[in-house]
Amino acid sequence: MSQSLRPYLQAVRSSLTAALALSNFASQTSERHNVPEIEAASSPELLLNPLTISRNDTERVLIEPSVNSVRISLKVKQADEIEHILVHKFTRFLTQRAESFFILRRKPIEGYDISFLVTNYHTEALLKHKLVDFILQFMEEVDKEISEMKLFLNARARFVAESFLTPFD
Amino acid sequence: MSQINYRTINIDQLDPESSVNFPMETLLPATLPQPETSSDAANVASQVRQLLRGGDAEGALRHALDTAPLGGDDRAKEVHLATVIEVLQGIRQGEMTRVLEGVCGSDGGAERADCLMKYIYKGMSSFGPSNGARSPAKSVSPQSTGGFSQIQGRNLGEGGGGQQMSVLLNWHEKLVELTGTGSIVRVMTDRRTV
Repeated sequence: MSQSLRPYLQAVRSSLTAALALSNFASQTSERHNVPEIEAASSPELLLNPLTISRNDTERVLIEPSVNSVRISLKVKQADEIEHILVHKFTRFLTQRAESFFILRRKPIEGYDISFLVTNYHTEALLKHKLVDFILQFMEEVDKEISEMKLFLNARARFVAESFLTPFD
Repeated sequence: MSQINYRTINIDQLDPESSVNFPMETLLPATLPQPETSSDAANVASQVRQLLRGGDAEGALRHALDTAPLGGDDRAKEVHLATVIEVLQGIRQGEMTRVLEGVCGSDGGAERADCLMKYIYKGMSSFGPSNGARSPAKSVSPQSTGGFSQIQGRNLGEGGGGQQMSVLLNWHEKLVELTGTGSIVRVMTDRRTV
């Protein structure tokens, strides 16, 4: 693990541990409703100060806590256009299968690549430290995955170009 | 009136009793310090810089955190944020733990630790969105370069800001070691923003 990655992940871990303290909270605007307050934004006093953790200008995490839900948004490293396309395809693949992912949000928020929405029902049903571990593991894996895909893509493109140009040799 | 689609009006906002119109000022404590202007913050900045030049890094950090403009306007807060980040960058990595123990160990140290944590998060967030416009997500379009050229700036990932962020991340790690996650919770819940 590189030198600057470790404090970054450590900061995300401690911030998530602090933010994932959620309780059941029924909606104040409509009776017998229970909605994630961070999404509804119907009462400003229930939203806490958002936290941003950034490693550099292309990699950052936004944590938006509220009384009964936390929204976590990731911006994945994209060094060039190919990585940008790969990240887009990858996150699209995941978000289209959001219902089997429980905490994945269907649409990332503006300026980020992928968002998670953790509500109090998730923290009741799942273990909190496992949730934190999952998000950190996701952050590590997605970087690895993207750089691996980029290598495969380049190798394949080279092979295709070679076999395409062989008749003209 | 016929121009406005009345179905899209959020009628909750027109109701003074509605929770959308919760008076946020009531969450602020009455003991908030006097509002500061950016010139006050600039004065503090020069004092802090003097302390820092004199080699008293601990005193500089302590003074900067004690004079945080909790009741100031946005301009004063920005100036003070720049001061705090300058102090944090001026302290070597080997000295961080010693300075932190000095600043947060003495009387009122917990307040200062929370304040420092607020500045660390603010420093990390102030950098991101302001430069977000020139992130690759916005500038990249397949047409812009006429095809997929890899001959472009490769340093987008590790470019500007990475240095400042790694300093702040190191401070964050050291501070969490000292104070635990409690100070992060207080950053989230405290309405007195820096």
